[in-house]
Amino acid sequence: MVTTALSRAPGRLALALPLQRRGAGALGALVVAGAACLALGDVGGAGVLSLGTTLFAYIALAQAWNILGGFSGQMSLGVGAFVGTSAYAMALTMTRLGWSWPAGMAAGVVVAGTLSGLLAFPLLRLKGDYFAVGTLAATMALDAWFDNWSFVNKSTGVSVPIQAVPGQTEMYLIGLVVALIAVGSAIVMRWSTFGVRLLAIREDDLAAPLLGVNVFGYRLVVMVVSGMLIGLAGGVFALSLVSFVPDAMFAMSWTIEALVMVVIGGMGTVIGPIVGAVAVYYGITTELANFPTLSLFFEGGLLLVVVRFVPGGLWPFVVRSTRWLLERRGPTVRIARATPPPSPPSPPSS
Amino acid sequence: MNATTLVNGVLEGGLYALVALGLSLVFGVLRLINLAHGVLVVGAAYAALELFDLLHLGPFVALPIVIVVAALFGYVLQRVMLTNLLLKGPESGIVGTFALAVLGEAAFAAAFTSNGVSLQSSLATTSVKVGGVTLELVLVVACAIAIACAGGLQFGLKRTRAGSVLRAAAKDPSTAELMGINVRLVFALTVALAAALAAVGGVLYGVSTGFAPTSDTSLLLIAVAVVVVGGVGNVTGTLVAGLAMGLAQAVSVSLFGGGYADFTIYVLFFVVLIARPKGLFGQGAF
Repeated sequence: MVTTALSRAPGRLALALPLQRRGAGALGALVVAGAACLALGDVGGAGVLSLGTTLFAYIALAQAWNILGGFSGQMSLGVGAFVGTSAYAMALTMTRLGWSWPAGMAAGVVVAGTLSGLLAFPLLRLKGDYFAVGTLAATMALDAWFDNWSFVNKSTGVSVPIQAVPGQTEMYLIGLVVALIAVGSAIVMRWSTFGVRLLAIREDDLAAPLLGVNVFGYRLVVMVVSGMLIGLAGGVFALSLVSFVPDAMFAMSWTIEALVMVVIGGMGTVIGPIVGAVAVYYGITTELANFPTLSLFFEGGLLLVVVRFVPGGLWPFVVRSTRWLLERRGPTVRIARATPPPSPPSPPSS
Repeated sequence: MNATTLVNGVLEGGLYALVALGLSLVFGVLRLINLAHGVLVVGAAYAALELFDLLHLGPFVALPIVIVVAALFGYVLQRVMLTNLLLKGPESGIVGTFALAVLGEAAFAAAFTSNGVSLQSSLATTSVKVGGVTLELVLVVACAIAIACAGGLQFGLKRTRAGSVLRAAAKDPSTAELMGINVRLVFALTVALAAALAAVGGVLYGVSTGFAPTSDTSLLLIAVAVVVVGGVGNVTGTLVAGLAMGLAQAVSVSLFGGGYADFTIYVLFFVVLIARPKGLFGQGAF
């Protein structure tokens, strides 16, 4: 009887309402933001469309990394593995089987998700640093393999058939939908009982199973979802790059971008990665587009400064400071409206 | 598969062991995979290159200077950066050292272009014949230095007072602190020593193989693979694992061609990490 009561999680009812309400609110906000982006695409010129497409893909990439790294606490250095396999699956199905881009993108997502699920079995046995290095090794191994595999043209690379690539307006829409799917997934995960259990695993993976949470199962789901979302973003990147080589698609730079965006914006939050993606992409990547080395230098430096001095990331910092300012400015109003219960007299200090 | 390839592979493994010793030390003492370790190795090679350009010092004359600079850098790095990150939790350690790796790679590319270079030394082009096997002299020297470093480290850790202080700080920092050990100082000196070992490995790697700003990732992975196979903090294990890794690479190169050299290391690493996360030879000194 006791165990049933425990596994039913007595807090569930209490949590369910506010959680779902907050999640619904966030989804509503997402729909509004999506409509705004749609309108922006209508009035904006070619520049907005191409910038927007890449930014959306980066938001999806960052959010996918955040779901794994921020919600589940598994720091992955293997983003390139999923970007690469998805892009290759897309290009190969489109060129060799004559598939259209939606079918190719679906193939990429399925392949990336499958790879993620397969890698989860060995990788999830590893903790912390080991997991990070394991994902890095998997990516480097895939890069080395594709560089020498004649089926995928070795280091010459592959390309998406240019006539099958959608136009600029459609690309913007595709990017927007991909970003909405990624952010939507993050919202659903964050404000649900699934997300609460995930948080429990992240905070203490020894205590969580004692509460009846299937640690491996939850992490497996998160890894597959994250891999599929990275695959989606990878499809957008493949369509915008058209032709690519293994060293570019399995590169460390995908991990660097995703990690920098998420950590700077705010790991483990939904808005943080979006803020980070916008800040890094507009603030650094496009400003220094002609100086890739300098851009990398700034990203590394900013990452170091943030992790050293603003460990939670920028978004939580902004939220905290705003709250602090508001509370400092208006204490009298609050007290006048609702008098707090008199605090118990503090015990003598000595 | 001829004997020359295999023997030179094993000798090159000595180089891997040398690169891995510093990583193993930091991993064992600070419980942190220093993702910037490869950058330290490559940085030492670039420092030697710069000393040659400025003062025309050969790599082996420059080596002592590079070692001192690297050790100072490691000390300051730990004092200013890593201690604070580690106090915030393991995630900050991963992100922080990853940021250092990104920063270092970008800095090298900006200062020295992204082309590959190598350190010039007469040693690199000399080979000796021993009983029908042609040995590259630089690899022989590297292997000898690796064995000397491993021996010195093992002796220092197990037989000296400083070594027991370090092991105490690694095993249980808070208790060590209560016993009057300045743990922060010990940690900083550990990173300094690791950086010095990385510098030795970096200069030898620069002479024997050559390097580019992006060499650090594969060096890091090789080092982690060697540490994992040999057991964290296990000095002898690290040396043996390094030699074995060199041999495995030589075998795969002669079987499948040079393109798969790195692939072998990564796959091997993956297999060992999954099958024996504590290493083939078990935990070592810590």
